[in-house]
Amino acid sequence: MTETSLLVGPFNRVEGDLEIRLDVTDGKVSAAYTNSPLFRGFERILLGKPPTEALTITPRICGICSISQSAAAARALADAAGATPAPEGEKTAALLHAVENLADHVTHFNMFFMPDFARPDYAGKPWHDRAVDRFTAAQGSALRVAMDARARLLHIVGLLGGKWPHTLAIQPGGVTRAPTMRDKVRISADLTAFRRYLEQQLFGGSVEEFEALTTVDALSDWGRGDVALFMEIAHDLDLAHSGQGAGRYLSFGAYPLPNGPIWQAGTWTNGIEGPLDTSGIAEDISHAWMLGDAAHPSQGMTVPDVDMSADAYSWCKAPRLNGLGYETGALARQVVDGHPLARDLAKQGGVLGRVGGRLLEIARTQIAMESILADIDPKAPFMDRAKLPANGEGMGLVEAARGSLGHWIRIEDGAIASYQIIAPTTWNFSPRDAGGTPGPVEAALVGAPVREGEETPLSVQHIVRSFDPCMVCTVH
Amino acid sequence: MSEIETFYDVMRRQGITRRSFMKYCSLTAAALGLSPAMVPKIAHAMETKPRTPVIWVHGLECTCCSESFIRSAHPLAKDVVLSMISLDYDDTLMAAAGHAAEAAFEETIEKYKGNYILAVEGNPPLNEDGMFCITGGKPFVEKLRHAAKDAKAIISWGACASYGCVQAAKPNPTQATPVHKVIMDKPIIKVPGCPPIAEVMTGVITYMLTFDRMPELDRQGRPAMFYSQRIHDKCYRRPHFDAGQFVEAWDDENARKGYCLYKMGCKGPTTYNACSTIRWNEGVSFPIQSGHGCIGCSEDGFWDQGSFYDRVTDLTQFGVEANADKVGMAAAGVVGAGVAAHAAVTALKAAQKKTQSTKEEA
Repeated sequence: MTETSLLVGPFNRVEGDLEIRLDVTDGKVSAAYTNSPLFRGFERILLGKPPTEALTITPRICGICSISQSAAAARALADAAGATPAPEGEKTAALLHAVENLADHVTHFNMFFMPDFARPDYAGKPWHDRAVDRFTAAQGSALRVAMDARARLLHIVGLLGGKWPHTLAIQPGGVTRAPTMRDKVRISADLTAFRRYLEQQLFGGSVEEFEALTTVDALSDWGRGDVALFMEIAHDLDLAHSGQGAGRYLSFGAYPLPNGPIWQAGTWTNGIEGPLDTSGIAEDISHAWMLGDAAHPSQGMTVPDVDMSADAYSWCKAPRLNGLGYETGALARQVVDGHPLARDLAKQGGVLGRVGGRLLEIARTQIAMESILADIDPKAPFMDRAKLPANGEGMGLVEAARGSLGHWIRIEDGAIASYQIIAPTTWNFSPRDAGGTPGPVEAALVGAPVREGEETPLSVQHIVRSFDPCMVCTVH
Repeated sequence: MSEIETFYDVMRRQGITRRSFMKYCSLTAAALGLSPAMVPKIAHAMETKPRTPVIWVHGLECTCCSESFIRSAHPLAKDVVLSMISLDYDDTLMAAAGHAAEAAFEETIEKYKGNYILAVEGNPPLNEDGMFCITGGKPFVEKLRHAAKDAKAIISWGACASYGCVQAAKPNPTQATPVHKVIMDKPIIKVPGCPPIAEVMTGVITYMLTFDRMPELDRQGRPAMFYSQRIHDKCYRRPHFDAGQFVEAWDDENARKGYCLYKMGCKGPTTYNACSTIRWNEGVSFPIQSGHGCIGCSEDGFWDQGSFYDRVTDLTQFGVEANADKVGMAAAGVVGAGVAAHAAVTALKAAQKKTQSTKEEA
């Protein structure tokens, strides 16, 4: 038996800084410890400020998920005010948010995840030449097309939100800009252009047809577009069984609309559906450089332990639902919503599951956006005036590209008295809890093969990137 | 220097045609506000000069600057700057990972000693010996100092690197500190904004690569060509301001008519940036056009100015005709830069000690 310890990081092609310590036994990862080495203290910065400042400050937690943060902040404030956004404002906010999530998924696939298969380590594989041609970092032909398509897609945010990243348009009562008929036409053209990219490049077929897939076998037989190359690689490297999760998925429910969210909220725990009950959430800090006790986010605190005491190894807290870690993200969303392909992918729940879940969601998001846009009535009000109370509490739950994002605010005497944020990657990349149970990624990495002499094992990189971590959101 | 290719070589190798190359030169001249007579000069410079290597590092930040950068309007400019001139080292976008990436970082510094541009996104937190932002096992501030030592010049991308940005908001839990208060012996160009406009970023970097020098800076160290006018000066809603027509509440009748957002807290009158001329997301729009006031994200301290929704009350303080230089001089008197700089040096020394002891444990 040989045992070694590896320190892997920094990771590139993930958002932010990440470091993972691996115990390796007989060529396999036997234990993993994820460290989020970046702390900025947003939850402390917000204290004492006027509640509306959260709308400007929290998006700046992350330049990639800024609309998600802004939507969660707006929801939390609306909740505190006991208000619901104007219906058209809600639709427009959903559209803005969907653009960001869709752009993120496409970026992840093309720029963060696939370039790993163009590495020289894979030379000689039957698919390697095609992977190099399409996905070489910063040069592959797929990357350029995807970047252009993405830039055009983000015109929609430009139009409705003024700028991206760090859009300011989403407010507790709705959105600041009411699109005109002319705007609707322009947005429609942008969506059509993006559909063209998806159908010609990524899927090589219609998004409706892709959404209609129900099994992993059918996905394997798809045989078109960049999806086909990915599936070929996935089979060759057995990505289905690489980095398998614990089978527990969480979703806060995506894109709230006047008649309910597009994708349902809930949990999926080893094959059993459950409702979402946020009262069971607690952030454990036994292995984080934080002081205090495990607490529900409405009661939580963020007090960094400047001594960085020995038991802890990350700035990240460990959120748990009813004492258990949950995986969150596109696959989780689609599993909880009950899509048959997602549920089939979740049977293995590995790298293939997560990336496949994201591809499925790309197709579904495109379709959803087109219907949201068609439903917007430019003449109706886009903002209701929400009056914030001098004292009160609110909770804002949204689904960012990477999964469930929650903001919890308490207002006292007209100022923020408490603000706690749990980001998707906080769930996925959490350290161990008081019971010593590893977080989702830590668990998924166990068993990953480490070849002789590998310092940054390829298998580990595939698994880590399959979660699409956003480390700046994680600790904030 | 002979082993380093010219820009033109790199572009040709990437399959860019002569025609596209000339177009790029014209676009660059236009973006920088230069006369058409400059186009042949730019072309000549790019044909004969070795390309300037760029190292791009990330500290305490949110990557919004990179996000903005990769979406600049002219696809050709983006291609040239991003993938062809090549960022020799970039944390977020490059292919290598882990130790290989660290090796590439060292190699780039060594190979282009004294000749590369260091682009910094984000800033170093100095509290607790820099432990709030650790990359490659070391506080970011060390990496920054190390990379800065042999850099020809430094670009501070965005509000974080230039001024500190929201993570430096009171009480600044990590003591997030702008680059110029840590690195004091190199020319630094600030390109503020949260994030900066993509075309401003490509414009600045193209100018520096092409002419091998810094563009003209204002007193705050910002490139004058992009930061010499207020948002207010070129705002399409300015006529409504002059006519006293204001939005009074969100989505009211006046909002639908596109009246001025001054009463909704717009900071356009005190903010120097090019948003109202270049606009965002490939020229589509900018915040005021979306019905939300400007928050002044390219100004120092925008995060601690009271509510973003309070109207600017000190508008007359600078006078209507004041320029960025005058405002900069006014601001400089207030900032206790010297004290902060001293604190920075002390913390840095402590940070080095702590790293060494950490290493021994590992």
